[in-house]
Amino acid sequence: MQVEKFYYDNRTVKNFAYATLLWGAVGMLVGLWASLQLVFPSLNITQYGSFGRLRPLHTNAVIFAFVGNGIFMGVYYSLQRLCKARMFSDTLSKIHFWGWQLIIVAAAVTLPLGLTQGAEYAELIWPIDIAITIIWVVFGWNMFGTIIKRREKHLYVAIWFYIATFVTVAVLHLVRSGELPYSWLKSYSFYAGVQDALVQWWYGHNAVAFFLTTPYLGLMYYFMPKAANRPVYSYKLSIIHFWALIFLYIWAGPHHLLYTALPNWAQSLGVVFSFMLIFPSWGGMINGLLTLRGAWDRVRDDVVLKFMVVAVTAYGMATFEGPMLSLKSVSAVAHYTDWIVAHVHVGALGWNGMLTFGVLYWLIPRIFGTTLYSKKLAANHFWLGTLGIVFYAVPLYWAGFTQSSMWKQFTDSGQLKYSFLETVTYLKPFYAMRSFGGALYLVGVFIMVYNMVKTVKSGKLIADEPAEAPALEKETADMHKGEHWHRWIERKPVQMLILSLVVILIGGVIEIVPTFMIKSNVPTISSVKPYTPLELQGRDIYVKEGCYTCHSQMIRPFRSETERYGEYSKAGEFVYDRPFQWGSKRMGPDLAREGSGNLKKTDGWHFRHLREPSSMSEGSIMPAYAFMIEEEIDTASTGAKIRAMQSLGVPYEKGFDKIANAALMEQAATITNNLKSDSIRISPNKEVIAVIAYLQRLGVDISKPQNQ
Amino acid sequence: MFKFIKQYVETMTGVAIYPIISLLIFFIFFVVLLVYVKKMDKKRVNILSNIPLDQTEEQ
Repeated sequence: MQVEKFYYDNRTVKNFAYATLLWGAVGMLVGLWASLQLVFPSLNITQYGSFGRLRPLHTNAVIFAFVGNGIFMGVYYSLQRLCKARMFSDTLSKIHFWGWQLIIVAAAVTLPLGLTQGAEYAELIWPIDIAITIIWVVFGWNMFGTIIKRREKHLYVAIWFYIATFVTVAVLHLVRSGELPYSWLKSYSFYAGVQDALVQWWYGHNAVAFFLTTPYLGLMYYFMPKAANRPVYSYKLSIIHFWALIFLYIWAGPHHLLYTALPNWAQSLGVVFSFMLIFPSWGGMINGLLTLRGAWDRVRDDVVLKFMVVAVTAYGMATFEGPMLSLKSVSAVAHYTDWIVAHVHVGALGWNGMLTFGVLYWLIPRIFGTTLYSKKLAANHFWLGTLGIVFYAVPLYWAGFTQSSMWKQFTDSGQLKYSFLETVTYLKPFYAMRSFGGALYLVGVFIMVYNMVKTVKSGKLIADEPAEAPALEKETADMHKGEHWHRWIERKPVQMLILSLVVILIGGVIEIVPTFMIKSNVPTISSVKPYTPLELQGRDIYVKEGCYTCHSQMIRPFRSETERYGEYSKAGEFVYDRPFQWGSKRMGPDLAREGSGNLKKTDGWHFRHLREPSSMSEGSIMPAYAFMIEEEIDTASTGAKIRAMQSLGVPYEKGFDKIANAALMEQAATITNNLKSDSIRISPNKEVIAVIAYLQRLGVDISKPQNQ
Repeated sequence: MFKFIKQYVETMTGVAIYPIISLLIFFIFFVVLLVYVKKMDKKRVNILSNIPLDQTEEQ
């Protein structure tokens, strides 16, 4: 058969590798800064640098910039070699690379400006969502083009993982980004309350699954055999791993919402499927580790293998912990605490970080036709990284248990033993130790960057790497007669895509559709009314400032929570919440009943607390929001917001958008009068007034008498 | 968004059937998968697992 000559494109791989290094360092630096803000609240410098805006910047940078570029680096390198073909189109590769970097820059600008949708890991505003969709299609087009013109008949299992990643991320992104724009930058979610929560964690959990896990498993199945120079332990196991994993993952989302107002059947579904996930996950881990059978002696000397072994081990630990955390009794302890933060960082720093570093150390010298500048520095990086993970995770696990037990303790006379603030100030030393661990890890990354710069300088990029392979046989009609049906799928990328799509859609549909369709899932509460225009503006400021990163609005049905916060939350309370703001972490207390019952405070208290939190709660780690006293409410948007809400089905009266601002000013005047009697003088058009109005509304409706 | 079909399914009862259906679907899917993998041809598995290593231009 005729042998064809062609060239692998290493330039795009190099670009993505550089971007991985750059954004990794930036994203982790922001993370370190944010962690220090919890110890020293004075590090919340200006509104643009406050924790609520930086935390989304950190998560987005690490997930979509660091890991995102890491995925593309690995896919562009391995896909070409697995298909024995150059990438389909150099132009598409360029558009993909630069488009993705532009999206990252746009995120890095908009998030500190407070332009956010207020949904974790889906914070980016709608114009950026559209850009992501376009660039994702470009990536898919380039990938499928390459697969179709390949010179290798079989699709290696790594490519299956890439295909599943492509199709699932597309579905997740499209569904989660369902939003109605009311201006050029802002929008409201299509979904409200419980539905929004379900969509969010279906998305959020599967962002972990299909952005942080499946593409990296593809990389593991390619780069680990390469680095160890032996085939994967069991190819059959990898097939089971693949199908079982993508099938199960998609159902697991509701485990983020245990004991919340989510319907019970959906919670049970999430628990069962999350628990089953341990089997394919551990199958994958064992498959990765056993690939090194007979080569363990090399792990001692080969830094690439060291990184990979720690990565796969961390994957195993995180995927053991995940199913355990999704058991209701464990979730009752762990949810809203630092335990979850420790858990995700074992995954992020251990699995994603260490695997990325291993691939970088393996790949950069190869595409530059040289050897690594310093093995010693790489070994130092390895130890700093590993110790960094330990120093990061251990204090946070400890903090998590401590926090949870302090929340739940009662005195002999039946009172809560600790105020919320006591539990926060007690944890400060743990947060400081965590920052130390993070700093160690980051120093390792800087050492790697230095090592890479030196390595690159000692070599020259092999931009077009020559290769040759026989052309693929033309397929004839009777060629595949009598073969097994699954081979038809394995050979064809499009069939693979469709089947992956079907598999993940089954889970998504069964999980989400009933909640949308069946009224009985969200019992209505007649006393729950839409927000007033001022409260709506206040709520949007609450979202903009990322208050949800530290405050939940979801009281679970435990005595320790109902004693502290009031009656537990009901699904019907959230029907006008777009986006829902249940939160996932309590750095500060729950706010669901902030405006009612025992928790109600005066307008003056809120004003002083927002201006300088520690003046009202000594030792508070909340950032000061003094700028809200200067910033004015964006009243020009009120009409458009009301109209958008009306078209989403919120029962404001017809024509209300025209008089909304008058109602807004009227309510604002009442609050300014209250403040005046508390000797605080302020004009009624300031942001702080709207936020106070919103906080004073929380939990009020449900305490009113119901009229059926 | 789903108004046009909403009226037909609003009356659906027995939502508890959903988790059971899902488990069944997965169980059947998994058994078929196991049978398939069990029956795979050994030689072909060997070829497949060697794809990443089958490269002359490196190492």
